[in-house]
Amino acid sequence: MQQVIWTLLGAHVAGVVLAAIAGFRSIRAGLAVAAFAPTITAIWAIWLFVSQDGLAGADGPPTSELVWVEGLDLAFRMQVDSLALLMTLLVSGIGALVFIYAIGYFAPDAAGGATFPPTLLAFSASMLGLVWSDSIWTLFIFWEATSITSFLLVGHKNSDANVQTAARRALMITGVGGLVLLAGLIILAQDVGSSTLTNLAAAEGSRATLAAILVMIGAATKSAQVPFHVWLPGAMAAPTPVSAYLHSATMVKAGVLLVAVMGTTFADVQAWKVLGLAFGIASMIWGGVGALRHVDAKLILAWGTISQLGLLITLLALGTGKAVFAATSILFAHAIFKAGLFLIVGEVDIRTGTRDIRKLGGLAKSMPITFAVALLSGLSMAGAPPLLGFPAKEAAIEAVLGLSGWEQIIGVVSVVGGAVLTVAYTTRFLIGVFGAGPDTIVKPRRLAMTIPAVVLGFLSVAGFAALGLVNDIVRPAAIELNAKSEVYGLVRWPGIKTAFVVSMAVLIVGFALGVGAAARKVASAPNATGADAADGLIDGILSNTPRFIAVVQHGSLPVYLATMTAAVAVAGIAFTDQVSLSHLQLWDTPLQGVLAAGIVAAAAAGAAVRSRLGATLTLGATGIGMSGIFIIHGAPDLALTQLLVEIIVVVGFVLGLGQLANQFPTVDNAWRATRLAVATLGGLAVMAGLAASSANPSGVAPIEDLTAGAVNDGGGNNVVNVILTDVRALDTLGEVVVLATVAIGILALANTRRAEA
Amino acid sequence: MSIALLLTVGGLTSVGLYLITSRSLSRIILGFALLGHASVLALLMSGGPAGRAPIADGSGSDGFANPLPQALALTAIVISFGLTLFLLALASRQKDHTGDDLVEDDIEDSRIAEVKQ
Repeated sequence: MQQVIWTLLGAHVAGVVLAAIAGFRSIRAGLAVAAFAPTITAIWAIWLFVSQDGLAGADGPPTSELVWVEGLDLAFRMQVDSLALLMTLLVSGIGALVFIYAIGYFAPDAAGGATFPPTLLAFSASMLGLVWSDSIWTLFIFWEATSITSFLLVGHKNSDANVQTAARRALMITGVGGLVLLAGLIILAQDVGSSTLTNLAAAEGSRATLAAILVMIGAATKSAQVPFHVWLPGAMAAPTPVSAYLHSATMVKAGVLLVAVMGTTFADVQAWKVLGLAFGIASMIWGGVGALRHVDAKLILAWGTISQLGLLITLLALGTGKAVFAATSILFAHAIFKAGLFLIVGEVDIRTGTRDIRKLGGLAKSMPITFAVALLSGLSMAGAPPLLGFPAKEAAIEAVLGLSGWEQIIGVVSVVGGAVLTVAYTTRFLIGVFGAGPDTIVKPRRLAMTIPAVVLGFLSVAGFAALGLVNDIVRPAAIELNAKSEVYGLVRWPGIKTAFVVSMAVLIVGFALGVGAAARKVASAPNATGADAADGLIDGILSNTPRFIAVVQHGSLPVYLATMTAAVAVAGIAFTDQVSLSHLQLWDTPLQGVLAAGIVAAAAAGAAVRSRLGATLTLGATGIGMSGIFIIHGAPDLALTQLLVEIIVVVGFVLGLGQLANQFPTVDNAWRATRLAVATLGGLAVMAGLAASSANPSGVAPIEDLTAGAVNDGGGNNVVNVILTDVRALDTLGEVVVLATVAIGILALANTRRAEA
Repeated sequence: MSIALLLTVGGLTSVGLYLITSRSLSRIILGFALLGHASVLALLMSGGPAGRAPIADGSGSDGFANPLPQALALTAIVISFGLTLFLLALASRQKDHTGDDLVEDDIEDSRIAEVKQ
């Protein structure tokens, strides 16, 4: 089944390329072409669900692996397991519907035909890659790809400055979050020693805590959790198909998905749970409140999404089998009803020209089909029977009731509170958009827009009717996340139990609250403090970056070198504990000590002396001293070579610098003290590194083998020569080539001089 | 490991670094040559202590110095020799153009710094 993954991803890539190079004038034609890949992927996923074998077929789940660097555990690794298949259904199924919807959404002459369809399809591909990833590195790459495509799609309307600001805010928050995530993933992979997501070992300890915090923050930025949520309402500046697809059904679920997948790994890390609950509960409540305060129907839904994502994070952070099962069910139900509601808002927007609930009125009569679909999706969102949202929410309430201690109190209060708010803003949304009000003039229906919304609305009913099939989709995914989910299932009629009573009470209280809120049609939208603060921060960074660059990238090459030397030397401090002095001896022979002192003295004199000729002579002295060291070390070949080289170099210096002034220029004196300090530091670092490396030898030098090999196989007695000519023959050839190149270079330089003269 | 050699490597590296952060290209070349010496010596030391020259004379390999780093060091010497000579030729050409061998600031970087400040 390995080919399936590549075929489907390939189809997406081919679609992107085709839609991009074809450069359709009409955005509709581009969308029609781009819709192909998500459609076949969705059909494949559905086929896997309905076929008897499904993923448990003979071959097991489809996997695919491209190893890049084996030793570093770097591989492009994918696996379509049950959770991935569930997500595939959402990404490609809803994706296909959104592509069709977009054909109706955009006017035939809308701009962006060459850019919008390929970008949307590129997002589809990135999202598929993300949910299929089985390596945390693969996952990260696609994670970033979704952030970038999301940025491009939000900023689709590139003539509007506000849109651009919103797109930039979304990119910066999710982008920085991505970097935080990467740091967390690196620490995690180091800690557990693997990067494969399947069966990732459990992590604990202080490093695991740090990794858990970073990963959770990364997930929270992507899933728009308070206080990182400020980008999501802004992202509503995107065309509605994008909002429905990326910012309710799929991309914002990436963070949730990550928290789900990492759940078992960080199960024993307290910070993971605490941070997850903090993000989740804050978002659930603040998102619900925000949804009650806005008058833009699309913003109501966006804030509702923040709230629902908070509920998912909360349940996953709790991490019990039932909570994970409930989260998986809500993930599925939410994608269906929320995408449906977004599509409806888009249709209302296009057909009436406004999304302001104060200006909309009488749509229940003038747009009956849309109203019916909105009612179904809305009631599913509120968790009312007989719709898919009901059993899912029921499972969530049961899950928190089943907890104990402080978790139960916090869980019940927040989930019930969030549920009440959800019912309230749903009620307000439905009354506000479709209820009484000024009669709005409605343009004719566009079928391409209505049909996908009808399909999604119908799915909320059908899901409840065919709850067994939904169970088959959701349960295996939940089991993958937490084996204890196995015993749970969605039930149509739970019977009169605590959870049911609570859920009915939630519906009644929430409905009353929603009717009350709908009656107050004043805009009490929270001012955009959060978004402004985020924009201010981004502006501040952008305006200060040039100043920073001017300081760092000043242009002085010596200062660059000194900076690098100092940085490397300072980085070496971390390894000083590996330096051992026990294996050191004063010298191999006393003569070695004398030569060493001579070499250093000659080198130092060369640096101090002002005369060029003097410096050249000290260089010669250093080289001759080196030859002596080589002889003592038992390396006559080196000594001979060094001697010859040294003579030529000194001659070269005299020839090459002959025409220069006798004295070095004095420009170097400006920062001599700093240079001395940095140079000393660098020398110390090298010494420490050498002492450390020789303290940890790995194995014994194979001198005997090398000697025997040289005599028997190489046919020579000088082992060094045999290594050079036999073992490293190609290297030696390369060396000759380098010398020849240098000779040609010098000749060319000399010739140009002659030509100029 | 011999402390004398360790100090030689450290000393050569320090002086070499001091010289290559200079503005004068001829001093930079001197620095490069010294850094080359330091790295050859470090390579040699990493192979073990001093010993007999590794030339088989039928008396076995006892007490031989490690031949492998020597073979590597030989290449290093020759390459740094080539580099030194080429740099010398460049310095000489620079003298033709500017009358001196001073290394100037990176023009592009200086421009960026000027614009942004």
